[in-house]
Amino acid sequence: MADRKAELERKKARLEQMRRERQEKVRQKASPAEGGDDTKSKPQKDLRSETDDLLRNLGIPEASTVQTVVTKSPSGGEEVVHTVKTSSRSKVKLSLCKVNETSIAPREQVSYSKETQTLNAEPVDKDARGPWDYYGSSQQGSPRFGSPKFSHPNLEWDDEFFDDDDDDEVLVYDDPQRSDDEADTDSMDQGVDSLPSGMPQVKMVDPAKTAEDLVKKEEPPVVRELTEEEKELILNDPEFNTFISKTSRIMERALAENYDILIDYSGGDGENKEDDLLAGERLKLNRTFYDERWSRHRTVTSLDWSIQHPELLVASYNVNEDAPHDPDGIALIWNNKFKKTTPEYVFHCQSALMSTCFAKFHPNLVVGGTYSGQIVLWDNRVNKRTPIQRTPLSAAAHTHPVYCVNVVGTQNAHNLISVSTDGKMCSWSLDMLSQPQDSMELQHKQSKAVAVTSFCFLSGDVNNFVVGAEDCTVYTACRHGSKAGINEAFDGHQGPITAIDAHSVPGQIDFSPYFLTSSFDWTIKLWSIKDQKYIHSFEDNSDYVYGVEWSPIHPALFASVDGNGRLDLWHLNNETEVPTASTVIDGNVALNTCRWHQSGHHISVGDDMGKIHIYDVGEHLANPKSGEWSKFVHTIQELKQHAAEREDDSNLALR
Amino acid sequence: MSEVEETLKRIQSHRGVQGTIVVNSEGIPIRTTLDNSTTVQYAGLIHQLAQKARSTVRELDPQNDLTFLRIRSKKNEIMCAPGNEYILLVIQTPDAS
Repeated sequence: MADRKAELERKKARLEQMRRERQEKVRQKASPAEGGDDTKSKPQKDLRSETDDLLRNLGIPEASTVQTVVTKSPSGGEEVVHTVKTSSRSKVKLSLCKVNETSIAPREQVSYSKETQTLNAEPVDKDARGPWDYYGSSQQGSPRFGSPKFSHPNLEWDDEFFDDDDDDEVLVYDDPQRSDDEADTDSMDQGVDSLPSGMPQVKMVDPAKTAEDLVKKEEPPVVRELTEEEKELILNDPEFNTFISKTSRIMERALAENYDILIDYSGGDGENKEDDLLAGERLKLNRTFYDERWSRHRTVTSLDWSIQHPELLVASYNVNEDAPHDPDGIALIWNNKFKKTTPEYVFHCQSALMSTCFAKFHPNLVVGGTYSGQIVLWDNRVNKRTPIQRTPLSAAAHTHPVYCVNVVGTQNAHNLISVSTDGKMCSWSLDMLSQPQDSMELQHKQSKAVAVTSFCFLSGDVNNFVVGAEDCTVYTACRHGSKAGINEAFDGHQGPITAIDAHSVPGQIDFSPYFLTSSFDWTIKLWSIKDQKYIHSFEDNSDYVYGVEWSPIHPALFASVDGNGRLDLWHLNNETEVPTASTVIDGNVALNTCRWHQSGHHISVGDDMGKIHIYDVGEHLANPKSGEWSKFVHTIQELKQHAAEREDDSNLALR
Repeated sequence: MSEVEETLKRIQSHRGVQGTIVVNSEGIPIRTTLDNSTTVQYAGLIHQLAQKARSTVRELDPQNDLTFLRIRSKKNEIMCAPGNEYILLVIQTPDAS
């Protein structure tokens, strides 16, 4: 130990001596210091190596010695080499150069890497980002980061200048658009911080790149796959099930819409011609409602469109003889808006349904008249298919089939009116079906009960109505007043009346006294309640006519259906002898009922096989022209004239 | 066959439907009728888009939420019905008639 201490002492003393020597030398050469630095580097190096050796011998890298080294050059070996080179070139600016050098060195490396890397792939840019940031860290590091593509050619140009002057290098990087060397250099040197502002194009590129990078980063995790067990777990999750049932409903509706919103009518010539042909079509089958489970083998007995939800159609069905275990009476609500092929709601009851209607002022309620005489009421808010209310089967109410149900009145005062084939007419409150509010026997001449098969209230009237009966007669009747009951009888038909409809198109001229009847006698007749003789008989059908209804918007248009499966449109201002438009439903079916949509552009017809066909009526036929009302007055007058002549003829013949 | 399977099958049987995919909240496909690579691509990308759409809707009105997203392109239409946890994706070609 003592030896070692002595050795230490000795070496320390020598170190001191060396330091003193050096300081002396520095003092001596203080005036030519800068210039002479170069020449001194060799002796200095020797000194340093000496001290290094000494320290190495001691085995302790002394802090003090390190500091002394630091004063000379803080950087690594390579950089020292650079220093030497650069200093040799710009001798005058020596002190400044040293400061610049430390920052320039990394730049140099960056520029090289950029040149080579930008040609290949993007990720390299990320590497380049660091150095660029150092460079202009104070203000805009990122815009520069994106610049490589633009500055690339300039960099090549710059490379040539590297050798000449380091300062130039800096300048060229910052402002690639300028090719001048000297003039720009100066400005660059001074305002390195403010320079970036002159490169707007560079900024544009930047965000795009980062976005791409982000996407690329996020993609990989997606590749992870769930195992079968995990999938099974999810599939059995009740939450997943509710999700599927909810979204699939929406999805199916969306899928059913096959309108091509991108359709271009100015497109091909061929398409346009087709459109013209379609426009000329007066009756076009739009769709068919049919449910294999519920409507097979059941005759459609009645149809009604909802007023609140114009796309909803309720249909009542008769019994299916082939399915004794299924309920006798079925009512289905179909949706015409969505191309969904299944009914929106399914309702059923114990007895076959003869008639049905929406409870006009309650969008949720559906009324049905059954063969047994019961009136049933369904509610689509309640999740059950059976009626929520039904009338009793008693003498106080109906005991015969109910072919006629309707809700009449206003929002605040309305009643459900029902008529059964024994001539009993009841008026109900929808809130209470346990007993009728009012009932009345429809009898002709105080004795003969009227077997009512159809009825219709006159337009805007809640008191006066017309009924069609099995006895081939049409009657007018009243609900209240001194003349309550059947008033007048209209003879003319040769067979039971199947349907009756009063004119109800609003307009300048009131046609409410006029009504139409269809009958088993193959004819449709036009009547006025003011005249007991029919105005006109439409005799173009060759089978029972089961249904007739006025258009809700066109004063002179009505539709009729018959047992041959024929759907006719009669435009009376146009032609009174033959239908204006006619179509026969495929499948050799009989049509039992027809119903206009409130828009007047569609007709729903029900057949005896359980199918409901929705027909579109051509625009030009469905929409009335302005002169249609006055024209219809003339038409009716003409028809009346013919009727009078016909009457005279028959009178003459009788004599 | 479960009700879910039945429903998906029914949707798939619609005319013009190219594929049906159910995606979970992480964009990972649970059920699909397409091949694996297409499914993964659709699931990942549409999931991100749906998330973005949802956040847009919610940001515009915090009480609001995304219920349906339809993307109509030249070649087909991508329809997304997002739930809380999953997204139902259907790709259909416009009226093939």
